[in-house]
Amino acid sequence: MSSSTVSLYLDPQIRDWVLFPITVVMILVGILRHYVVLLLQSPSKKLPRNAIREQRALVRSQILRATSANSPLPPTYYKAISQHLSHAFAEGTYLKDGPPKADAPASAPPNPLTDPNAMDGMMAGMKTQMVMMVPQMVIMGWINFFFQGFVLIKLPFPLTLGFKSMLQRGVETPDMDVRWVSSLSWYFLNFFGLNGLYRLILGGENAADSSRDMTTPFAAASAAPQPGQAQDYNKLFKAERDNLEFSEGLHSWIAKDVDTRILKKYGRLPADAK
Amino acid sequence: MEFTFSLQKLAAYQPRQTQKSKATYETGLALLESGGYASKGEEGWDTMEKLTLAALDQGNLEVADKCIQLLADKFPDSPRVDVLTGIRLEASEPPETVLRYYDDLLEADSTNAAVWRRKAHVLRHSGKIERAVEELSAMLDTFYTEIDGWLELADIYASCHQHTYALQALSHALLLSPQNPAYFLQYAETAYLAEDVPLALKTFLQTVDMTDDDDGDLAPSDSIPIGITLRAWYGVKLCTRKFITEPRSASHSASQTAAPNTSNVSLLDDLSTERLRTAYLNLKSESPPAGEADLIAALATLVK
Repeated sequence: MSSSTVSLYLDPQIRDWVLFPITVVMILVGILRHYVVLLLQSPSKKLPRNAIREQRALVRSQILRATSANSPLPPTYYKAISQHLSHAFAEGTYLKDGPPKADAPASAPPNPLTDPNAMDGMMAGMKTQMVMMVPQMVIMGWINFFFQGFVLIKLPFPLTLGFKSMLQRGVETPDMDVRWVSSLSWYFLNFFGLNGLYRLILGGENAADSSRDMTTPFAAASAAPQPGQAQDYNKLFKAERDNLEFSEGLHSWIAKDVDTRILKKYGRLPADAK
Repeated sequence: MEFTFSLQKLAAYQPRQTQKSKATYETGLALLESGGYASKGEEGWDTMEKLTLAALDQGNLEVADKCIQLLADKFPDSPRVDVLTGIRLEASEPPETVLRYYDDLLEADSTNAAVWRRKAHVLRHSGKIERAVEELSAMLDTFYTEIDGWLELADIYASCHQHTYALQALSHALLLSPQNPAYFLQYAETAYLAEDVPLALKTFLQTVDMTDDDDGDLAPSDSIPIGITLRAWYGVKLCTRKFITEPRSASHSASQTAAPNTSNVSLLDDLSTERLRTAYLNLKSESPPAGEADLIAALATLVK
């Protein structure tokens, strides 16, 4: 098959007017996209103080519970804190909207579509999606319209036939060497391969890489605090009370018999004495 | 995370005249005058922040103002610069003005814990201790994990001789950072002051257990207690003395901590005396005083 080396000559104009433009346009669009996303990102909304308090109350009891097996606190102090928390959870002191009314019906979780805050989060995700989808569609349309069926480049290394569908998309030839890459395939290679370059140009946390969004659609939307499942803190608190009670039973003070421990360590008591 | 940490550091700032701050001031000033801060990137701006604080330490408001101006131009709306400006105001303005400034900041963003702590700090220093405690407690209720806040609260209580309350505040610090022997020592000392001697003894011993060098080549009994361990041993000694001279104190414990049995107490007493003697010998290179009371008095100056 020595003929395959000379079988095809590419016009240098293809290189100058098709190969390079496609690559450059894709890089530029990626960079542009990064800055547009930065512009679109609404500053993350600060939670009001009582919302933070509500969120962190659970952390508080978790910290307490985490120490219970080897607690630095003597039992009375531990119990005081634990029971104070448990009491506060039962009363709903930490709830964002104050203690629930006794006669209030068990409220259904609010519909995310009616909550303006939740809508904001979803819109932000949608906007990012649009910024990704639109330019990619335009570029693909552009390539398909003007350069359909172009062979752009010859890879400098041999490949097996399995790569044919990957590298020669849009050129339906049964026996062309797999090393030739078609325009549409070149587009896809760039699409998935430019991330490293973006990372060099824009830094690690860039929004230019479209393939990442492609693999996890709506990633941006789900990364935001999931509004659809607004947590019912009242229920969480009630559950946490059981946990608190449980850890109270496990409580043991590290300094409980530290005196004998120290005396043994310093050889004042025989090591096996209880 | 780093940002939160810097904010916490700012929140805990207190003016002090140290050699280190003087050195920071001098190197920072050189950088400011040469204008090299801008080309150094983040590090340069960090230096400017440090220079501001150092200049305030040295009482040079002009330099501090210049730095804050630079920082404010570079980072508008940064809570860090806001707090820095507040600290600058504290240096020259009356407390009312500063409080109003902090109130405005809190109004705009009620979640800025650093501003909140500065506010409590100002209140405390203008004599309104009650308000300071109130603000600090409210802040800690929201931002439970600010250990420094708990320590400051304990400090305020201790300054009013409310040792039981101080003990409660410290217990939160212990929960948040149970690996830090310094908090244990402070807890023990506060318990001693709150006249909960059994609790104090146990916590002192716990501190000893945490800090003595039991991984080294020497057996613990041959090591020489220094620093925090020495201080803890001193506390142990004070507690055992108290048990021996006033047996009643053993049963008097607000936390219902059981005192060690009598034989253990006397053993601990012996051991702590021996430890203190070793330390004294090592520090002063002379034989320690023979009498117990003398030994305690002599060491009181050493553990400071």
